[in-house]
Amino acid sequence: MEPRFPYGREVRIRIGGPAGFGIKAAGATLSRVFARAGYNTFDLTEYPSLIKGGHNTYHLRVSEDEIFSHVTPTDILVALDAATIALHLDELTPGAAIVFDPHDIAADAIELGEYADDVCLVPVPLTDIVREVGGVRIMRNVAALGAVLGHMEFPLDGLIDSLRHQFAAKPPEIAEQNVATATRGYEAAADAHCAFPYKLAPVTGAPTRILSDGNTATTLGSLAAGLGFYAAYPMTPASSILHYLAAHGEAEGVVVKHTEDEIAAINMCIGAAFGGTRSMCCTSGGGFALMVEALGFAGVSESAIVVGLFTRPGPATGMPTWTEQSDLRFAIHAAQGEFPRVILAPGDPAEAFEFAWRAFNLADQLQTPVILLGDTYLSENTQTLAPFDSAAVVVERGELQVEGEVAGYARYAVTDSGVSPRAIPGVVGAQQIVNSYEHDEFGWGSQGEDAETRRAQNSKRLRKVDLARTLVPAPREYGPREADLSFIVFGSTKMPVREAMAWLANDGVSANMLQLTCVWPFPAHEVYEFLERSKRAIVVEGNATGQLEGLIREFCLRDPSHRINRFDGRPFSPEQIYETAHLILGDERESDHTPASDEGAR
Amino acid sequence: MVAPDDFKTPLKPTWCPGCGNHGMWEALKRALSEMGWEKHEFSVVWGIGCHGNGADFLDVQGMHALHGRSLPPATALKLTRPDLHVVVEMGDGDGYGLGMGHFIHAVRRNPDITVIAHDNQVYGLTTGQASPTTEHLMHTVSTPGGVLEQPANPIGLALAEKATFVARGFAGDIAHLTDLYKQAFSHRGFALVDVVQPCVTWNKLNTASWFKERIYKLEDTGWDPTDLDAALNLSMTSFRELTCTPEECRVPIGVFYRAESVDTYEQGLSATQTPGWKRAQAPRDITALIDAMA
Repeated sequence: MEPRFPYGREVRIRIGGPAGFGIKAAGATLSRVFARAGYNTFDLTEYPSLIKGGHNTYHLRVSEDEIFSHVTPTDILVALDAATIALHLDELTPGAAIVFDPHDIAADAIELGEYADDVCLVPVPLTDIVREVGGVRIMRNVAALGAVLGHMEFPLDGLIDSLRHQFAAKPPEIAEQNVATATRGYEAAADAHCAFPYKLAPVTGAPTRILSDGNTATTLGSLAAGLGFYAAYPMTPASSILHYLAAHGEAEGVVVKHTEDEIAAINMCIGAAFGGTRSMCCTSGGGFALMVEALGFAGVSESAIVVGLFTRPGPATGMPTWTEQSDLRFAIHAAQGEFPRVILAPGDPAEAFEFAWRAFNLADQLQTPVILLGDTYLSENTQTLAPFDSAAVVVERGELQVEGEVAGYARYAVTDSGVSPRAIPGVVGAQQIVNSYEHDEFGWGSQGEDAETRRAQNSKRLRKVDLARTLVPAPREYGPREADLSFIVFGSTKMPVREAMAWLANDGVSANMLQLTCVWPFPAHEVYEFLERSKRAIVVEGNATGQLEGLIREFCLRDPSHRINRFDGRPFSPEQIYETAHLILGDERESDHTPASDEGAR
Repeated sequence: MVAPDDFKTPLKPTWCPGCGNHGMWEALKRALSEMGWEKHEFSVVWGIGCHGNGADFLDVQGMHALHGRSLPPATALKLTRPDLHVVVEMGDGDGYGLGMGHFIHAVRRNPDITVIAHDNQVYGLTTGQASPTTEHLMHTVSTPGGVLEQPANPIGLALAEKATFVARGFAGDIAHLTDLYKQAFSHRGFALVDVVQPCVTWNKLNTASWFKERIYKLEDTGWDPTDLDAALNLSMTSFRELTCTPEECRVPIGVFYRAESVDTYEQGLSATQTPGWKRAQAPRDITALIDAMA
């Protein structure tokens, strides 16, 4: 098994087993141990939509170098059931280890096949250890974490500190029980005498980093922007925002409401925005479908709201816990009629933070709904990054008056910019009807049926698109200005493409990438200019029908030369991007790797 | 104090002559005036329907929301603007049809808002289809063989979820209705005033004279509005027979039930006690939250 991909100095660990075994919690503890020791980490959680049973995994990439995404291989596989071994055998690297509990899995029953010479078995009596320290069965994952570090000969102190911190609020014997469990796991792995081929070098002087997934980043960006109202109905992968705000919102002065449905959530946001409060509702495609009528209400009533749409495979209930980018067109076209909207698509947690606070400014400046478009891959997976740049946050509320009085007030006065003065209830003289009907400048619906009034109001609203173009973030470009390969992406696909670009650079292949940070209004000029200087333009997007590709045709009148699509619920891997890039270049190198998804090089 | 006529806009009502909305509009202007509320001290949120056209005829700081969706924005406005009184105007098709889910959940929450339901037992603006409160077996354009469903019982539904103020008014008795509105506005918590009204164009059954023959005032009978069980029972015996005589089915108006010392939703959340716009006067300091992620 020769390495096929130019991975950096790194270790990949996968923990697998049925739901209910504390796999995600164990993985999160492990990533924190490595992050605090100064390494870069990126995790990928994959799980089916159930509470007990099934197959959950947590894949953790730990690197001494800068990394941008998850990768496919595994160096240490922690198998909390036998199925995990069979399911992940083909991703094991030479010298890889399988940590397992001989209580559950007999060593001689493990069939390694062609991997037998390259894989070392590390039996760790997880069940016995937990029993000996008087713990409960779920603590087997703590013994397994100790075993992973023992196998790597990585200092145990970080894990011990982390456990003591995690159980600080509990009676001290709980923490010490966990410490003893981890220590025994550590020692048992060391006893297995499986040499681990790669030792992580100690890191000194690493900059301060935080661990964040996209949802936490979105939440903190919103809080920084002055979020005052959040409403949501639970839906994967957006629910963790509701959980975070429910836990912290009261202390931060945010009214948080778990509503009866997504229709109530967005209509509540419009009501709160009417009162001048910065308001947000986050959901996935199914919930967004319920919000559609009110999205148009926000458009015609010129209400400043932020809607988070974090997509998963559809249609309908689809694949609740997996990822896809197939709601791009849905977000752009949702709701009857025509009205201005802004759609920002963050590509990583740092951008999720930045675009969240920018979204609130845009909503206020444009008095129209702003959509944050993400996906499960960004929402749920945690990585190390520099602390969020909260010093950069500014609050821009546009033409908003919250106190005092107004005279001759007209909420929907026709202006050159399309933005009208917005005085909230409580301002003396600010009589108005914020209306779902077409309306005149005072908001009176019966007057909106006049042909000239309709034309004036509709044109006024649509003029805000021109203003939006001057306010939204520009597309971001990575890599050299001229390159052999030019990727065009939106959203989380940025991460694996950046990783693949680094590998291609190692091979002497120049690649660049245009990331559409604002997908609506569509940045036609920038995309056109990028296409004009591209030798091979490759649109990479997580859907089957090429939605971004179609937008490029529509607005640039140009055909991108290549596409890579994925719609199996899994995120793009950098391996897939890298291999397809070589295929496109007509690379002669032989490859026995069959990409796991439909893809084409035209 | 704002005089009742000062709540008029330059636009003249477009309701049919004899429509109950005229009386309700009059009672609302009087009640708002008598409460002493200035125009910047309260907000009104309308749904969609004939009642909703009234948004153009009342000079307020209000919102004309989507069909069936007046309660969610009104609730959120109250949760983020403790300094405002919030009034909802909704219709029976609007609030008890499309908006029935929101209605039940709003009652459960007990926000300090007043909900006035224009209950004419028919869809008016969409030309006469059966509404959720149309009488069983009544013929309409959407039910030519008669309505097969039992009519919704808004008073009973609100009571079943322990609404803290439940009343029925009659659009034909403006003085009584004005008083009910004022009681509802003064109530701390969710107040429902379901107002029965004739629809002269589409409802040929529940006419003004039909109501006048059947209506009686609860307060005239020594009614105890603190007895929830009695109120529930009374809600079940209200006019429910298509052809009943005035003696057989009488229509009580007045306050069915009130509970004055129940906590509102807002009282359970300290974040609701500050106007939400004050949270966005400058970036929020999130240093501690970021530090916790290291």
